[in-house]
Amino acid sequence: MTQTPMLDGIKVLDFTHIVAGPHATRLMAEHGAEVIKVEPLTGDPARGLPFHKDGRSGCFVQHNIGKKNLCLDLSTQEGKNICYELVKQADVVIENFAPGVMQRLKLDWETLRKLNPELIMCSISCFGQTGPLSDLPGYDFIGQSYAGLLDMNGEPGGSPIFADLAFGDVSTGTHAYAAIISALFHKFRGGGGQYIDISLVDVLFSYHEMGVEVFDGSKGGMALTRSGTQHPLLSPFGVFRCNDKYIFLIANRDQWLRLVKLIDRPDMLEDPRYTDIMSRGENREEVNAAIQTWLDNIGDADEAVRLLQEHHVPSAPILSIPEVIEHPHMKARGTVRTVSDPVFGQLKIPNNPLRFSQFPEPLDLQAGFLGQCNHEILSEKLHYSDHQITELEKNGVIGSKNI
Amino acid sequence: MTRKHVLDGVKVIDFSHYVAGPHCTRLMAEAGADVIKIEALHGDSSRHLPVMKNDRSGYYIQHNRGKRCLGLDLRTQEAQDICHSLIKDADVVIENFTPGVMAKYNMDWAALSKVNPDLVMCSISCLGQEGPLARFPGFDYIGQAYSGVMGMTGQADGPPALSGMAFGDISTGAHAYGAIVSALFHKANGGGGQYLDMSLLDCLFSYHEMNVQVYDASGGALVPKRSGHQHSFVAPLGLFKCGDRYLIIVAIGPQWVNLCKLLGKEEWIDDPRFADPVIRNENRDEISEAIEGWLATIGDPDKAVKILVEDNHVPAAPVLDVPEVMEHPHMVQRGIVQTIDDPKFGKVKIPASPMRFSEFPEPLNLQASGIGEHNAQILMDQLGYSAEKVAELTGAGVIGSKDT
Repeated sequence: MTQTPMLDGIKVLDFTHIVAGPHATRLMAEHGAEVIKVEPLTGDPARGLPFHKDGRSGCFVQHNIGKKNLCLDLSTQEGKNICYELVKQADVVIENFAPGVMQRLKLDWETLRKLNPELIMCSISCFGQTGPLSDLPGYDFIGQSYAGLLDMNGEPGGSPIFADLAFGDVSTGTHAYAAIISALFHKFRGGGGQYIDISLVDVLFSYHEMGVEVFDGSKGGMALTRSGTQHPLLSPFGVFRCNDKYIFLIANRDQWLRLVKLIDRPDMLEDPRYTDIMSRGENREEVNAAIQTWLDNIGDADEAVRLLQEHHVPSAPILSIPEVIEHPHMKARGTVRTVSDPVFGQLKIPNNPLRFSQFPEPLDLQAGFLGQCNHEILSEKLHYSDHQITELEKNGVIGSKNI
Repeated sequence: MTRKHVLDGVKVIDFSHYVAGPHCTRLMAEAGADVIKIEALHGDSSRHLPVMKNDRSGYYIQHNRGKRCLGLDLRTQEAQDICHSLIKDADVVIENFTPGVMAKYNMDWAALSKVNPDLVMCSISCLGQEGPLARFPGFDYIGQAYSGVMGMTGQADGPPALSGMAFGDISTGAHAYGAIVSALFHKANGGGGQYLDMSLLDCLFSYHEMNVQVYDASGGALVPKRSGHQHSFVAPLGLFKCGDRYLIIVAIGPQWVNLCKLLGKEEWIDDPRFADPVIRNENRDEISEAIEGWLATIGDPDKAVKILVEDNHVPAAPVLDVPEVMEHPHMVQRGIVQTIDDPKFGKVKIPASPMRFSEFPEPLNLQASGIGEHNAQILMDQLGYSAEKVAELTGAGVIGSKDT
């Protein structure tokens, strides 16, 4: 028997754009929710992000599979009325405008909860709905700056650098997803609706698994800072070069004993400077030199990692995107997902990382064209006549385009 | 009935250690779940991580508040029986051992789904439960290396750089939380229990919001590579120096027009070489030069951010270090930093839970436990053991405790 998907029957009205919000509703769609994405006549700005084929954006496809697309002008009263009607039928409303915009559009929590007291509404923003920075425009890397993350990447004494991927946006989307499902669970048990305020800065700041308590608990004596290719306190713990490639390795406790044996430096076991991972951190230059000598002897990164892994020393080759996609482990696991798209044909995107034993196969989902479901939504859900829909189109309240 | 939070009444048996798993169950405890942490007699290894005070780890406190602790030796039959008894009545089991370890303790999904068919069980691992790499030990950065995340961090012509925090562990913990509440919702709807296989690798790989499809859809013509200060595919998006501080500036949307005006480059607004963020990237040196020139005339990073953001609505930010974040008025007002009071450690600041619910604006008052702090309470109140039996198990080394 085919299971009904977990979020089957959950109705989501989605006012989000770019990445953080759309990732949250993509996850909801992947788990069977009915997501209606409300887009302006100009489309989600993500439709302008690469890679493009025949005007279609791969970036948009990745973050919007499985959603129905309603394209309308929110500044018009007719556009708002359509949204109000849909809100009355919805379980969840989600948006990621800059704080204040939903209020200006008269689609804020105070307005919508009156239409639907059981509603769950989630706002995602860079800085949150409160606080002095809340009304500033924000992006992932802006959030990373204010959360103290960018400062932690780069060579000590050198400039900060950034990771060339929007992990703040994507993982904030997941936090929003998690908070929304928690609220749905609460509503299911009779707890009613509520409002959820998720921000990139809150999420990113929570990623300091150590930096905050260490600074505070040491009364400012220990302030972690960026340390380039090596861990600031521990050794061996970092990036090493092997011929033309880089690898990562770490060796704590028993792993150190096995590493020393592998690199044929039994003398280091007797030496008190290398007793534990903290003392080795103080003598990292000698430790790293010993490892480097061994790596230079091996001369092949894949062989070095194979030997390290065989000895159960945690290590990995530092892969590029093409290498990740082709790696047998990722293939076996389905970490890379191939979706079908009317314009791209087949397109590879990262798979949904939430894996459920009851639902081993992902749903077959596509990203919609701009306004693709205008007619279906207005006619089936709100019982507009064909004539009314044509009038709305003529007046520029709704629109559509095959992008 | 009034609930103390969204997961009030949900019973969790937690076999996790270090960060990824404990962060997940911390979020559950913060949302009101009843979490019992099963800890080895020598304790979770993270009890030794800095900063230490009075033999107590600030690190452990951050990730383990709100959990009751049962200290036992999982290798013994009696300990396994205790766990099975608790799991019979639990909603969720979570663990983050290397794949295979739970089976050794008779605690894998095959065994536990027989004990409690309605159970939701979540395993968190670095590289997943199956596949050629599954059996290797993993850490956050191993996942970052295999997912292509580390390869995307660093200067274009230099080595990859380590990110200074375990964002893979924490965010995978949050993913696991999301998966578990989904499964709880499904179970509440009559869908029964199930097993969740969460990995750092999958989560980290999903953070490529652009890189995977760009490489694939371009037929391999566009290969994402780390680029240090500037984004690979769009411009302007990067780090720029102003005085003694670095700023991030992002003008890939409509703010581009404002930036052009601010830089005195109105002619760029209609110049086809700068038509969109992707085309602009081909000419980004010219843009960077103009931005750097303008920043040099301003000289003061705070002033530059004010002009960019407040006066011209161009997204920009100063790169702050952790102490600066903790003191920043926005963070203080928003309560991003939470001060908790630990019985041994005293007051210590940690990052607050990023999930904010209007129905539950105040965080629950939670504490981290010592090893086996709740042994007697759990065994006697929940499983009906006698005081003699508890003493006997303690004497036999099946259970134990340490005030740490």
